[in-house]
Amino acid sequence: MKVRFESLSLATMVIPEGRLDYGAAAGFQAQVEQLLAGGGTKPAGVIIDCAGLDYVSSAGLRVFLLAARASQRAGLSFAVCALKPAVREVFDLSGFSRIIAVYADRAAALADTPLGSA
Amino acid sequence: MNMSLVGRGVQSVNAPVRQLAQLLLNRDGPYAQAFENLILALIVFSLVSVGLETLPGLPAWTTRVLKVGEIAVVAVFSLEYLLRIVAAQRKLAFIFSFYGLVDLLAIAPFYLAGLDVRYLRALRVLRVLRVLKLQRRVLENTVAERTHELAERNRALMHAQAQLTAELDTARALQIAILPSKFPARSGCVGAARMVPASTMGGDFYDFIELPDGQVGLVMADVSGKGVPAAFFMAVARTNLRELAMHHAEPASCLARTNDVLCTQNPMELFVSVFYCIFDPATGALRYANGGHNPPYVRRADGSIEVLSGAGGLVLGAMPGVEYQNHTVQLGAGDRLVLYTDGVTEAFNHVDEAYGEERLIAEIQAHGDGSAEALVERICHSVTIFSGTVPQSDDITLTVLTWHPANSGEVPLAGLQMPIAPAARQ
Repeated sequence: MKVRFESLSLATMVIPEGRLDYGAAAGFQAQVEQLLAGGGTKPAGVIIDCAGLDYVSSAGLRVFLLAARASQRAGLSFAVCALKPAVREVFDLSGFSRIIAVYADRAAALADTPLGSA
Repeated sequence: MNMSLVGRGVQSVNAPVRQLAQLLLNRDGPYAQAFENLILALIVFSLVSVGLETLPGLPAWTTRVLKVGEIAVVAVFSLEYLLRIVAAQRKLAFIFSFYGLVDLLAIAPFYLAGLDVRYLRALRVLRVLRVLKLQRRVLENTVAERTHELAERNRALMHAQAQLTAELDTARALQIAILPSKFPARSGCVGAARMVPASTMGGDFYDFIELPDGQVGLVMADVSGKGVPAAFFMAVARTNLRELAMHHAEPASCLARTNDVLCTQNPMELFVSVFYCIFDPATGALRYANGGHNPPYVRRADGSIEVLSGAGGLVLGAMPGVEYQNHTVQLGAGDRLVLYTDGVTEAFNHVDEAYGEERLIAEIQAHGDGSAEALVERICHSVTIFSGTVPQSDDITLTVLTWHPANSGEVPLAGLQMPIAPAARQ
């Protein structure tokens, strides 16, 4: 799995691509933690753009939960967007779509990102 | 023909020399150390004698001793040089290697001096180069020491690895052992289950709980992640759920309470998907709540398949204070309930294709008429065939419940109680 980051004025986009399974989860978790621990001028939110994400296992799902919690602690908004049907199903089945903001696409997610105080 | 004879002749002369080289040069050879010490002593002797010879007014006997000594030194060094050539795999490479040239330079002055006395003094100075022979000894000893240290460390690592593997195997055996091996004796219903653990310790579990009033609780659960943390969390989740099931008449409140308890005992921030149902063998009523687990199937006696609605409750351990929903489904005589984890539907084959729900449904439809045990067996077999040689990446866990009410006239296939042995992984 590959991960790209994109800094927008409102939010940092995290763009994972490929399969987020048990083997990829630890690496993805480290990258997201590094992003959230990084100081400097923080944007108001973190959005994980899942347009390129083909598969998420339960271990992968855990990284989303950890990222949502860490964002909350850092005072950042957290959202995911552009889930493929297979990934959307995992989010719905696990109940994650009840506790994590899910948007149809990036524009919708950005439109809902609150203006940060940072 | 001739060539081979000649070859054999050379070989027969060569063999004893090779043997000698083995004895004297091979580090593990019986005389290697003695030969090594002799060479070292001779190097020191020859270096000292080079210095002594330059002293003026040396007594004649000293000069004689030094001369004899030099002959002995050159004889031994020449022997060593020849043996090294014989022992070398690539002889030319050795001759022109640095230490090959050093060895040659260490003896060449002696032979050359015999040819032309005029260069005697200049050639004698070359003997100082014998100090370079020392360098090889130092280098070889260092390499040998490091090799020895590495081997020691490797041994220690392998020992630690073996110990760890043994402990993990024990942990996995314990993990399987705490799963129930028998379905509670209840009139008219039979349950069968199987957990086939993945090579990395996973966190799937199933459970059968004897509840008051003759009811029976069935659990199917899957902890996020793998390894020791998942196995620990599995044990904690199972114990809490089993304990709380005794005090909660409704599945939803049992899950909600279990979730709250798990959220306080969750340092690794894991979570677990749980399907929990309470079956009443007297009426066939199945009450259930789903905490983020794959929705189970009911195969009706006529072969049709229903997916149990009400999925989408939050997995347990993710957030405290969550509510779950109670649902009810009525089982009829000959119906089967099939619970499974995603290790079944997400078993992959060699072209990275998942087993999927369609194949699972097809198996249940086609083979659901037999006993609970037979259906579990059938599905496991089908997944194994599908995966082929692809290693199993996740636990595969299945439970099947069949119900034959006392007044239906149908006889339970395998009596009231059926032993269910969790399969040992091959």
